[in-house]
Amino acid sequence: MAVDPVAGTAHEVAARAITWLHANRALGAFADNATADLDDPNSVYKPLGEAALAASLVLREGVTGGTQLRQARELLDFCWDELRRGDLLYERQLRHTMLTDPLECYAPFARAGRRHHALEEVLAHTSAVDAITELVPNRRLAVANGHRVVGIPRDDDWDALTRATWLGSTPAPWAIDWFTAYCATHTVFHLTDWGARPHGLPEHVADYLAAWLPVWVDVWAEACQWDLVGELLIVGACLPEPRVDAAEWEAFAAVQHADGLVPRDGEPVAEDPSERFRDHQHTAVVATVAGTVALSRLLGSDA
Amino acid sequence: MTAENRVGRPSYADAAAALAGHVLEALGEGSPAHVAGFLDSCAEHVAGLGAVRLVGADVFAPQLLLGSPLETRDVDAVADAFDAFPPVHRPATREQHVMAWRDWTTTRLLTRLADGPSPAPGTAQPVADTPGDPVDVLGPAEQWQRWSVAVAQLSMLALPGADGPVVEAVSGEPLALARGTTRAVLRRDHATAARLARWVALLRDIVPLDPVALVEHLRLHAGNDARLLLDLAVARHLAKGT
Repeated sequence: MAVDPVAGTAHEVAARAITWLHANRALGAFADNATADLDDPNSVYKPLGEAALAASLVLREGVTGGTQLRQARELLDFCWDELRRGDLLYERQLRHTMLTDPLECYAPFARAGRRHHALEEVLAHTSAVDAITELVPNRRLAVANGHRVVGIPRDDDWDALTRATWLGSTPAPWAIDWFTAYCATHTVFHLTDWGARPHGLPEHVADYLAAWLPVWVDVWAEACQWDLVGELLIVGACLPEPRVDAAEWEAFAAVQHADGLVPRDGEPVAEDPSERFRDHQHTAVVATVAGTVALSRLLGSDA
Repeated sequence: MTAENRVGRPSYADAAAALAGHVLEALGEGSPAHVAGFLDSCAEHVAGLGAVRLVGADVFAPQLLLGSPLETRDVDAVADAFDAFPPVHRPATREQHVMAWRDWTTTRLLTRLADGPSPAPGTAQPVADTPGDPVDVLGPAEQWQRWSVAVAQLSMLALPGADGPVVEAVSGEPLALARGTTRAVLRRDHATAARLARWVALLRDIVPLDPVALVEHLRLHAGNDARLLLDLAVARHLAKGT
């Protein structure tokens, strides 16, 4: 059966984006020996976890070419080495019992077979005693999915967790802003485990997204918020009936640079390599995930 | 310069805003719009006639929404406006298509209301001499962004009894209408959103948006432009099913 032409666009976007992440990965390294007490967890630590997430999904789906699979493995191992093969996460979880980011960061490594036994023991214990700090609802879903991916048994009430989110209450579709749109996308990512469980979305939420995603993509594309547009494209690809719209993908692909960088917004892109990487690495992660999941769903639905 | 070419000059736009405010007041008071009285109050009579053409079918909002009587003087006033600025019969541009459908609706309602009390729902006059296929003015609904902008431009057709091919076409695309409305609200294009809110309210049984919440959101956020407030007032009445 013929594959939808938009599959080629999605593949191209993802392949270029991971090539860029892979080529520039050294710019995402810790400046010195990082310890469990990170001064700024958002500067290097969190992005390493996000790059690992993108790599783990490329490997999970296995729909890109051999070059991209090699890049994904090398990128994943680079991130894993930066985290001292999990020791940094382990020490951070021991030092800061209530934090959930070691689990969230670890999940993609565990998914891809990079396991840290001692960390998992600590994670299982903190889970057993519910030593989990208070979180906004979509972040709480990230933790629930982290436990699920790592394989730590819990009896989370997914329906209740979903109802607590903005998306779970399916508000008026104009009652959304840039920040809330990110909350909504993450609710979908965790409920569906990044497109692997499309039916993890309650039916009414899937219907709601099918109705309003086109509007949100339209208004944030007009505002050149490409990072958010990319996240919304992932959401489309995670739906039970995947939405991979050719015009939306063409617009997203059109802003990607020849080297694979995807600008996060409409502002000028810096010349300095470090600045370029710092500003736009998240969008490259988003583009890699979006293209990978979209391609996989298109191939899957054609099979 | 012909009178028609002068429609849209600032004096006409100002007069149209004044007339919109006049109709809004009438709706609020439950009285007829007194179009003739409005014309009498205009310093420039031609500008007043131009305003009647621009506001179009909305001058009948008190009749159509509240059942107010249409006075003979008002019938004559609207007819005078069409004499001064003849209706568009053979539209070519998109703007002319919009004007043609507005004119078609206004003249049709004028004829019907002048003949007597409103007919029962579903007994409107047969459609004759329509300005063309609705798709010529609306475009394809798949392109809901452009489609909904055209629907907004035709908001004066979102009145009880102003049925016809465009109303049928819009009724057939509730999701495109809801998306276009949501887009307008998010873009803070309040004028377009208020116009679309009329359609949402008219088609409230099939459009997946709450017209009451939509109108209230716009009332609180959209300022106090008379044209916009008139659209909201019409939408509010339509949402109540009156």
